[in-house]
Amino acid sequence: MEMKINELEKLENEGVEQLPSEERRKFLKFGMVVTGVFLGGTVLSLTSTRTAGAMSGPVPEAGKFPYSPHYTMVIRGNRCVGCELCKEACVTTNNVPSYGYRTTILEKKRKIANEAVETAFMPVLCNQCNRPPCVRVCPTTATYKDKTTGIVRMHYKRCIGCKTCMAACPYNARYFKEENRAVDKCNFCWDTRLSKGETTTACAEACPGDVRIFGDLTDPKSDAYKLLYARDKVAWVLRPETGAMPNIYYMND
Amino acid sequence: MINNKIITFATVLLAGSFFLTGNGHAEEAYDVQAYGPKTTIIFNTPVTASFDHKVHTADIGLDCSSCHDSEMVAEKRGFAMQRGVAEATGQFTMAAMAEGQFCGVCHDGDMAFGVDENCAACHQLPDDPIIWTAPVKAVIFSHDQHVNDIGLDCESCHSDVFAMKVGAAPATGNYTMRALNDGQYCGACHDGETAFASNTQCNTCHIGVKGYNRAMGTTPDTGGH
Repeated sequence: MEMKINELEKLENEGVEQLPSEERRKFLKFGMVVTGVFLGGTVLSLTSTRTAGAMSGPVPEAGKFPYSPHYTMVIRGNRCVGCELCKEACVTTNNVPSYGYRTTILEKKRKIANEAVETAFMPVLCNQCNRPPCVRVCPTTATYKDKTTGIVRMHYKRCIGCKTCMAACPYNARYFKEENRAVDKCNFCWDTRLSKGETTTACAEACPGDVRIFGDLTDPKSDAYKLLYARDKVAWVLRPETGAMPNIYYMND
Repeated sequence: MINNKIITFATVLLAGSFFLTGNGHAEEAYDVQAYGPKTTIIFNTPVTASFDHKVHTADIGLDCSSCHDSEMVAEKRGFAMQRGVAEATGQFTMAAMAEGQFCGVCHDGDMAFGVDENCAACHQLPDDPIIWTAPVKAVIFSHDQHVNDIGLDCESCHSDVFAMKVGAAPATGNYTMRALNDGQYCGACHDGETAFASNTQCNTCHIGVKGYNRAMGTTPDTGGH
């Protein structure tokens, strides 16, 4: 069967909410899955089920990690009190200017039972995606996926400041640093700490609530591994629908 | 009918005039020489407290010399008529009063209510809310909620749990969640039985840097840091 992508793109996105599971199974049998349909229907990508298998859940199967060390951060969101000591530590460690951020804390309020309102804080940073959209769009390979650690890093000298990566990032994790005339982002403190033998990031170290647990998933003894693969624990990622396969996991406690 | 209207009008007029003149008489009746200054005295040292002469003289019937006696002043049991003398002793404290000095001469729980009760007769609740910025930014506390809504007394907390001095708890260096979970500070009640446990509902009290900036009316969130 010939796929007429141009014609398919003109169709209105019907979403998958109403799609019976029977239909999905048929589609999977067909050997392809649709990814990116949530992106307002403007991006339609078809990828083989074999590759998409990794996307069946946000957490990779234990032991199957594409990088070694495979760095990750597990964020226990319900413990965050928005004190922003992480942010301060990041600013100091990585020389972040006042107009940008490598990590920040989002705040969300929602109505809960008994007319009460609950505040939730959510730390965000670069998700060091396995399929980083920023890397895909960079015209000069200034941003790249480190082949060993999987950290999405920057060659500042190669950056021409086109900011396409900033537009492509699903997590708004990049900013243009005037001082460098280059885009800057979180690199898990690679240049400032990890490459110098430190074992954790500045933000994780500064957190008084043990919200941010940084670690290497290939090490089953690491706290990150133990949390992510603990019995009865549910972890989730932000914007899984983009297919970027992020490496920042969220859970409660 | 007309008569009725006239009578009603006259009654209202009469009542109004009584009200006005009655008030006028009361104004004239307050004798500063006999009863002391009419405006409430506000002490600001060591903490804010108020004192009303009228209640003590015109209402209760004390003489000026009951408190304004030079011998008593010398013994820190009375009050000089100048401003700030009691405060300047450095001993104008609740502890001194409990030992029978200053207000404690009468306010001993026998002659008048004791200094360990009825706090709000002289003290007001501090400006709400209290926002602590140490050891982390930022934790909010409402006196109004704890006193007026829940019905706690001042001494529920201001006995062994919290000193009344601003910043006293953070200054100990021990004002931490660990201490709370061990039953200190807020944890005295927030133990999961009396009130929600200190290690739950974090953001009921923790408002974060964003909440702090909103409360202070400073720096709207610009996305940067």
